[in-house]
Amino acid sequence: MASSSDLENPISSASLPYSYAPLPDGEQQATNEPAVRHPKKAAFFLVSALLAVAFLVALIAGNGLKLPNDSNTNDVLSAMSTPQKVTPLSRGVDKGVSDKTFHPMLGADNSYPWSPNMLDWQRTGFHFQPQKNWMNDPNAPVFYKGWYHLFYQYHPDAPVWGKIVWGHAVSKDLINWRHLPIAMETDQWYDEQGVWTGSATILPDGQLVVLYTGSTNESVQVQNLAYPADPSDPLLINWVKYPGNPVLVPPPGIDIKDFRDPTTAWKTPEGKWRITIGSKLNKTGISLVYDTEDFKTFELLDGLLHAVPGTGMWECVDFYPISKQGENGLDTSVDGPGVKHVVKASMDDDRNDYYAIGTYDAFKGKWTPDNPTLDVGYGLRYDYGIYYASKTFYDQNKQRRILWSWIKETDAETADINKGWASLMGVPRTIVLDKKTQSNIIQWPVVEINELRTNVTAFKNVLLEAGSIVPLNIPAASQLDIVAEFELDEETVLRLNGGDVAYECAKSGGAAQQGALGPFGFSVLAHEGLIEHTPVYFYVAKGVDGNLKTFFCADQSRSSTAGDVDKSIYGNIVPVLKGEKLSMRILVDHSIVESFAQEGRTCITSRVYPTKAIYNNAQLFLFNNATAAKVTASVNVWQMKSADI
Amino acid sequence: MTFSLGKANFIPQVLRIKNFNMKFTSLIMIFFSHLLLQTPFIVMGDRRLIESTCKATPSYNLCLSTLMSNPKSTNGDISDLGLIMVGATKSKATRAIQHIKSLYMSHPELRHSLNECAQMYMAVVRADVPSAIQALDGGQPKFAEDGMADTAVETQACERSFNGRGQKSPLTQMNKDIENIANVARAIIRMLL
Repeated sequence: MASSSDLENPISSASLPYSYAPLPDGEQQATNEPAVRHPKKAAFFLVSALLAVAFLVALIAGNGLKLPNDSNTNDVLSAMSTPQKVTPLSRGVDKGVSDKTFHPMLGADNSYPWSPNMLDWQRTGFHFQPQKNWMNDPNAPVFYKGWYHLFYQYHPDAPVWGKIVWGHAVSKDLINWRHLPIAMETDQWYDEQGVWTGSATILPDGQLVVLYTGSTNESVQVQNLAYPADPSDPLLINWVKYPGNPVLVPPPGIDIKDFRDPTTAWKTPEGKWRITIGSKLNKTGISLVYDTEDFKTFELLDGLLHAVPGTGMWECVDFYPISKQGENGLDTSVDGPGVKHVVKASMDDDRNDYYAIGTYDAFKGKWTPDNPTLDVGYGLRYDYGIYYASKTFYDQNKQRRILWSWIKETDAETADINKGWASLMGVPRTIVLDKKTQSNIIQWPVVEINELRTNVTAFKNVLLEAGSIVPLNIPAASQLDIVAEFELDEETVLRLNGGDVAYECAKSGGAAQQGALGPFGFSVLAHEGLIEHTPVYFYVAKGVDGNLKTFFCADQSRSSTAGDVDKSIYGNIVPVLKGEKLSMRILVDHSIVESFAQEGRTCITSRVYPTKAIYNNAQLFLFNNATAAKVTASVNVWQMKSADI
Repeated sequence: MTFSLGKANFIPQVLRIKNFNMKFTSLIMIFFSHLLLQTPFIVMGDRRLIESTCKATPSYNLCLSTLMSNPKSTNGDISDLGLIMVGATKSKATRAIQHIKSLYMSHPELRHSLNECAQMYMAVVRADVPSAIQALDGGQPKFAEDGMADTAVETQACERSFNGRGQKSPLTQMNKDIENIANVARAIIRMLL
């Protein structure tokens, strides 16, 4: 069992092939003790030294004393100061949706007798996942010499998180994948406890470099440089870790465990490379900025890229330009008047990914949100369901900005251990600025996914009376692509009196809670008698001012009869502009459902674990559970082939 | 580049003292007296942390006795207290496997359920506990919480193995103990989130 405390063995720590090279300063020659001339004195000295060190250590550790602040030893000592011993505050309740990790209730019997049959069904047909064991964050996604590469946090030994290495897979089309050997193992002292998240940068001459976080043998978070062993190998099978690693260590004032996930680099006006790394200062989430010319030595900028109080640790920070007018993605270095910049962070405290659109000042290395009230951590999320540690890359092959994300399990870990695997990647999404609203991005599954569509069934102008449900009789309803448009009948909408709209997907009764103008949508992974079903729906409400507010929700509350799975309802308001019909797209793929409203303005990813609505018993229904309005729906449903994964 | 975390840095401090014997002895005496003077404060401060931590868990007494009986708790922060509790969970789960093995021979009629329980506890010892320790050491408590939450679920699944076959479980007390301690560990880990 690893001990977190090196207090027990201060001397043995000193004799390790140590973590950090001492400063090139005469006073710090820790390992170069002057020769002791007399053996007896040597013995006495050693014993006394041992005692002295032991007492000093006990004293300081016991009381958190700061060591004397000698200017030469400042940097060394500040990195050594004991971590704050403050009782952590509970998570802010002001974050709105409090959905955190799913967890079974304490005290209840939370085990369900999952059969191998039920568990086997949960594996997906077209979502990226390794053959077995645990995956988390996507790493260094990149298009290189004709191949899309995906690396990922991987625990090779068990379907739970652990000592993480970099898994690796390649694809020509982002949909069919070839698994490759582990790219990087925990084989150096500076990543012995984990080869954690990192990003790739392609240099103008085509060279590829990777910066990643290593958790050292002492569990300190440092940044390391790695590059392909053979740059002419398009599959990038073998990697070399720069012998001079780590290239970055936690700077003064930053906790040794709050320094991780370096971004792709972008060019500065001076022609240097710039990266950002998330961290925190007390409860303020921050993003540190470093400039470098060679990815080996870095200069920490005085200011931060951005900071938001109350948001806690920023993990997996991402920073990238989006075009104001164009439909393409932009290389990470692009800047100029036609460009806005997105800052995104994964909030460790609430396990959601937040982003904001703003303006980047390249000279100062600072970014300011367009709307400070919807700042990073308080405003928009990429996805209102399960979606974390996401990362984008610029796909120079098709000039797109593509988003990858880790989708964790929301079942009991026991089931993961039984089924032998845990976690998926979401279907990669393209990101562009929403030209109509100008205040959010739009995400949409990459077009390549459409290659899996087959056997379309179309329903045109199906009239759904208030309180009706229609089975769509689609076989193989575990792998579907559903695209639909809905229209509420004008007459009812106009006739209705508006009222206070206090609806929130997460706090609602889900699809069972009826309103005058909603909910309506689809029930996916539905059992014949609806003992299990997962509604994805719109809920429209008329405000006091006569304007309509539209909510888009995915309801897991009746998704499974098992007691040990997450039954939350996810969702958010979705902007609907004048003249727009309500539209949704749903990708159903066994235990994952990805839902998109208004062409990707609001997205929801859900994990679903039915016990009965599986295999041939999984069905699709269309419903309108409103009390007043009729809804007209036009639907295309495709069965989805499985990809090679 | 900055940093070094080695306690080895203290040695050069000591090296700078020129007249070893005399100055060193007086240094030792100062340390002794400091230590003696500070001792009540160390004990009081840490006891307060342990008490307030345990109050926020579902089993105060179990939490308190487990932490107080481990010397590492006297200098620990909440992460260290979490590690102690995870360690205690591991010990109990390891003993559970031994106990189950001993029952296997004496209760052949319960073999199916006992076997299932052994598997569950092996999952705890091989997967949940190492994951939680790795996560607490690495500063990623969210993964540690997953591990302890699962441990509690495994104890319930073990009980269910017997009940599901209409058998009386010989492991009820043991399962409850481990469920309780895992829930305490989980509650402590939540404080880090």
